[in-house]
Amino acid sequence: MYLENLTLHNFRNYADLDVTFDRGVNVLLGQNAQGKTNLLEAIYVLALTRSHRTANDRELIRWQHQTALLKGRLHRATGSVPLELTLGKRGKRAKVNHLEQAKLSQYVGQLNVIVFAPEDLSIVKGAPSIRRRFMDMEFGQMSPKYLYNLSQYRAILKQRNLYLRQLSRHQVKDKVYLGVLSDQLAAFGAEIIHKRLELLGQLEQWAQGVHSEITQQQEQLTFHYVTQVPTEDQTSVDHLYETLQKLYAQQEAKEIFQGTTLIGPHRDDLQFSVNGKNVQTFGSQGQQRTTALSVKLAEIDLMKAETGEYPVLLLDDVLSELDADRQTHLLTAIQDKVQTFLTTPSLDGVARQLINAPKVFNVNHGILHEEEPH
Amino acid sequence: MQYPEPIAKLIDSYMKLPGIGGKTATRLAFYTIDMDGDDVTEFAKALIAAKRDLHFCSICGNITENDPCDICRDKSRDQSTVLVVEEAKDVMAMEKIKEYNGLYHVLHGVLSPIDGKGPEDINIASLLKRLQQNDGIHEVIIATNATPEGEATAMYISRLVKPAGIKVTRLAHGLSVGSDIQYADEMTLFKAVEGRQEM
Repeated sequence: MYLENLTLHNFRNYADLDVTFDRGVNVLLGQNAQGKTNLLEAIYVLALTRSHRTANDRELIRWQHQTALLKGRLHRATGSVPLELTLGKRGKRAKVNHLEQAKLSQYVGQLNVIVFAPEDLSIVKGAPSIRRRFMDMEFGQMSPKYLYNLSQYRAILKQRNLYLRQLSRHQVKDKVYLGVLSDQLAAFGAEIIHKRLELLGQLEQWAQGVHSEITQQQEQLTFHYVTQVPTEDQTSVDHLYETLQKLYAQQEAKEIFQGTTLIGPHRDDLQFSVNGKNVQTFGSQGQQRTTALSVKLAEIDLMKAETGEYPVLLLDDVLSELDADRQTHLLTAIQDKVQTFLTTPSLDGVARQLINAPKVFNVNHGILHEEEPH
Repeated sequence: MQYPEPIAKLIDSYMKLPGIGGKTATRLAFYTIDMDGDDVTEFAKALIAAKRDLHFCSICGNITENDPCDICRDKSRDQSTVLVVEEAKDVMAMEKIKEYNGLYHVLHGVLSPIDGKGPEDINIASLLKRLQQNDGIHEVIIATNATPEGEATAMYISRLVKPAGIKVTRLAHGLSVGSDIQYADEMTLFKAVEGRQEM
């Protein structure tokens, strides 16, 4: 899929913008604080109705204005549809094909996007929570059931943690209710772990191909899902559910003592290994970057496999973080397949030579000028 | 300038009602002043009577003028089933369908530590007492809402009641009657597939 055009009205620093994009690579050139990332954000918001940079929608509306309007024409294999999103004081309204959608969840999923920003390089060396967030964000876009299980799990986890704290302070005594909460948590936790294992297995295959190509077959990347629940290749949801139940029963005294839930997908992690060695602890900076890049590129292919179309790729200032070799791999991988938007202060070196006829826009104080093709 | 005391008090009183803010309360207060004297008296009496004459039924917890309530006293109803609901409003909803002829039990809430409601804070103890004292009850139907908290409450009750050999059932999840599959949200559809029945 690709975005044919974009119209913005009072979004961030864009008063009025009307721009037509290329189905290949679109480069947004400009100094700092001109609105390059704001434009990527606009595409992200148009896709998911919320921003990846802020939780507060007010910030998205141009200073001293009441509503922001985002419109774009999305081209899919089956035809093209107009998308429209209005952000206002009273919330959001979304239209697909000029028809208002009663639920935002019906709107999300029309346009699939993947962002790759400098922060994403920390997926390998950062805290486990970053990797859990990564799994939840990506798998949530691919499976509505995963998203549902996750929200239920979080709601029950909150109740259970509070109840454990009350038990540890002897404010309550009823262990039957704790058992109920444990069972509920185990049921949704099992679903989440099962789906993570399934999709990680697929992601791993795609990532291995990319990784071995970047390293010229020198290195082999493997994923390992780190969890307290013993898992094998073909673990069923029911088996995971029973195992989790047993673990909660075994750890009950400890969980009450600490007043918090110690087992479950909210404590799990994802480990990347290169040639059998953990990249997080033993990998060089370069290996960590290569791993992050492989995972991101694999995501594009997994999204294609799961949804049937390539997503739109948003590259926020990542070229400067990658060396010439990795830039080459990134840019050849997306070439002629994936519509890409990339922001950069300057386009030179490998990137300029590699990108096939990019459409280049100069971004200056919220105004876009298209650069003449060379 | 401030409002005269009687009207200020009235505005404050209206604001104690749910969903009513300052502006609406002011509008209601001024409307009340313009109302017919008899109507206002009627209104005030209704308010007081509702509070004074209504009690919770000592058996099922439903709101009633008489204790025990009309449903609990009605011997023509099926004395062997008890339907457990969250709120008294849910009893009225069930009664509207005129198909259920058993008894009720109102919990006045669901288990939710976040909202400060533990097993002792909702009407579960009286349900157990009722089951212990009455051998005639063979089935408990749990009709709490399909939220995580409603589910937890249902599971909790079933764990306490089932060991006593009483049948515990739960309302079905799935598509609403007369609805189109294409308009159902994904999780409802998923639950409906999961809970499918053989024909």
